[in-house]
Amino acid sequence: MSEQRPDQGERRHVATWPAGLGIAATVAGAVAFVVAFWVDASNAWIGGSLAFALLGLGLTLAYWGRDLAGDQVIAGRYPIPPENTEDQSAALATQLDEHASVLTRRGFLFKGLVFGIGVFALSQVVLLGALGPWPGDSLTTTGWRRGRRLVDSEGEPITRDALATGGFIVAFPEGSDLHQRADSQVALLHFVNGEFTPLSGRETWSPEDFVAYSRVCTHAGCSVAQYADADQVLLCPCHQSAFDVLNGAEPISGPAARPLPQLPLAIDDEGVLYAQSDFTEPVGPGFWNA
Amino acid sequence: MTSDRRRAIERGAEGTPLRDHDLKRGLGRAFRVRTSPLRPAGRWLHTNLGGSKVLRDELRHIFPDSWAFFLGEIALYCFIILVATGIFLALFFQASEAPVLYEGSYTPLAGAEMSIAYDSVLQISLDVPAGLLVRQVHHWSALVFVAALIIHMLRTFFTASYRRPRRLNWLLGAILLLLVGLNGLFGYSLPDDLLSGTGLRIAFSITESIPFVGPALATVLFGGEFPSGGLIARIYPVHIFLLPAAIGGLLGAHLGLLWFQRHTQFPGPGRSDRTVVGTPLIPAYALRTTGYLLIISGVCTAFAAFVQINPVWLYGPYRPWDATTAAQPDWYMGWLEGAVRLMPAWDIQIGGLLIPGIFWPAVVLPGLIFTPLFVLPWLDWVVTRDGAFHNVLLQPGRHPARAALGAGFVTFLSVLLVAGANDVFAFVWNWPQPLLLLILQILTIVLPPIVAVVTFALVRTWDRPWASTAG
Repeated sequence: MSEQRPDQGERRHVATWPAGLGIAATVAGAVAFVVAFWVDASNAWIGGSLAFALLGLGLTLAYWGRDLAGDQVIAGRYPIPPENTEDQSAALATQLDEHASVLTRRGFLFKGLVFGIGVFALSQVVLLGALGPWPGDSLTTTGWRRGRRLVDSEGEPITRDALATGGFIVAFPEGSDLHQRADSQVALLHFVNGEFTPLSGRETWSPEDFVAYSRVCTHAGCSVAQYADADQVLLCPCHQSAFDVLNGAEPISGPAARPLPQLPLAIDDEGVLYAQSDFTEPVGPGFWNA
Repeated sequence: MTSDRRRAIERGAEGTPLRDHDLKRGLGRAFRVRTSPLRPAGRWLHTNLGGSKVLRDELRHIFPDSWAFFLGEIALYCFIILVATGIFLALFFQASEAPVLYEGSYTPLAGAEMSIAYDSVLQISLDVPAGLLVRQVHHWSALVFVAALIIHMLRTFFTASYRRPRRLNWLLGAILLLLVGLNGLFGYSLPDDLLSGTGLRIAFSITESIPFVGPALATVLFGGEFPSGGLIARIYPVHIFLLPAAIGGLLGAHLGLLWFQRHTQFPGPGRSDRTVVGTPLIPAYALRTTGYLLIISGVCTAFAAFVQINPVWLYGPYRPWDATTAAQPDWYMGWLEGAVRLMPAWDIQIGGLLIPGIFWPAVVLPGLIFTPLFVLPWLDWVVTRDGAFHNVLLQPGRHPARAALGAGFVTFLSVLLVAGANDVFAFVWNWPQPLLLLILQILTIVLPPIVAVVTFALVRTWDRPWASTAG
């Protein structure tokens, strides 16, 4: 490498005091860090002292290096100059061909080799199957069955008296675990008499004006956890989809395209709400074979 | 032999053949002249590594100077900080979703049922000495990492340093950006708090939405229908081993190419495509860059000390029926979040088959953004037919088309980023949310071309007076 030093004779020296100050800050910060850690001081003290030490040392080195850089500018050659690019690449190509063409000259064998490697690589894809179960019916079914009672988040069965008109709570199938609760959660609403008109085909799903909608958003699967009772819409906090609870939970704004599925309800002799069946359509976000 | 000779010198024995450096060392001892500790270090290097000609050259490896070349170094140093702090965190984190009752020092959650993973993150944050600091340094440096990568990439784009012979290195950098963003997503998903659990639920829904393979891909990758109970245990090795190893390897290749080809330089006296001008590795560049490593560490530590980030104990454990408002991902995922929010409710039904609306912003859009990003150097060649080798950078302000394209692209992503927090803005400005959504939808389409056209016009106007003189 050819090297020129423009100012070789002249040596500047780094100004001592800033570097000295930086080193002092480093030592002080390091000591403060140990003390702060030892006395179990707050995050601000432990982190602040550590940051002080790091910045002190870093600024010293950067300052010193910068100071030196001023009179150490050198020049050299790029290893890959623009000229003769074509010639050089042609030379490399020739050389590669010269040494390795013993492989490609055996045309049939070489293609077989490439083919074999490809088949082998593809065969390893089956290992993906070891990762998890196939979907089966897990995406189209929930924890609801005929006769399964609705319980609140404490696991207590929900009776007709548990929810006043205008009320809104989250309900789950009785005996469900966390996994089942994820796709079985429903928003249970109790309307004022005459306020709610069922959709056709769903006349028997809302006894005594109790209505249950899936709480899994049909957009991205978040929990539709908010209820604006003034507007009577269910709101998803993730992407702000809004569903009209008086009209079959049709989406009225936001990115969700499909209504929240409705759970067919009934009330038993003890006044406890239960499901007539599972949902009649898949809950949650859409997927290919919906 | 050497020590024999030294003793001989110290005894003052005669007739021992002396070499220059032995004499100097002997005299140095005798007259208490300081000798440099670097001399034995240099000898050690040669005797243990060999190839002193190569090493001698590399000591004077030339690095062109510009503040703009520091951007990639920030990213590199963030990676180093992330590995160091990540090892500390891995000593305490437990990747299990098995339920446990909380018994730690945070009283609001006393007795609450939560996953072992969340419990261990609470322990790191609130009970391990300096645990919160290390966790926050880890999170802050991840945020800085992606920011540095993006700004570094913009610098590379606007100065056109992705041209031959650095096409491959641009591609490596683009893959790095993708992997780093992905690993950030996995990282903030591990604590299994309410916010991150919700994010994973959305990720499952996005995977489900892919035509043909979606449902199978989702259950296979996530270990069953969400929440499978085994997802954290699955993400953990990917986050701490698989992706860091890939990122480390690609970074090595990226830096190896840079080292081999030398860095590009801005135009200046004595600089050309043949001649590189800059500071040598030893000592000036090495000193400075080590200083920069420490400064970046210091800045991330200062953020971690004084600015709270991701206080998971406030969010509570993930329970699938809970939700938080103002739920935003880390900033570098904000554009994706915004695109998902802006996308109108368009489900496409073909026969009995469904393409959910979320497929377009969450799967197709990232593909449309990253594919041209990966092949940019070749796209540039298709347009400019410039296949020559370049070591001198272009001045960003002198190429209207490139500047316009970049500005429009950045504007597009910025509008999406704002849209990712539209609920927060609607709340802060007290605007109706649907109106803000409509405005942002219009801006997403209209603003990027306007910015591009204005940039094009401005750059061309500015360029004219001095373009003719500078040739």
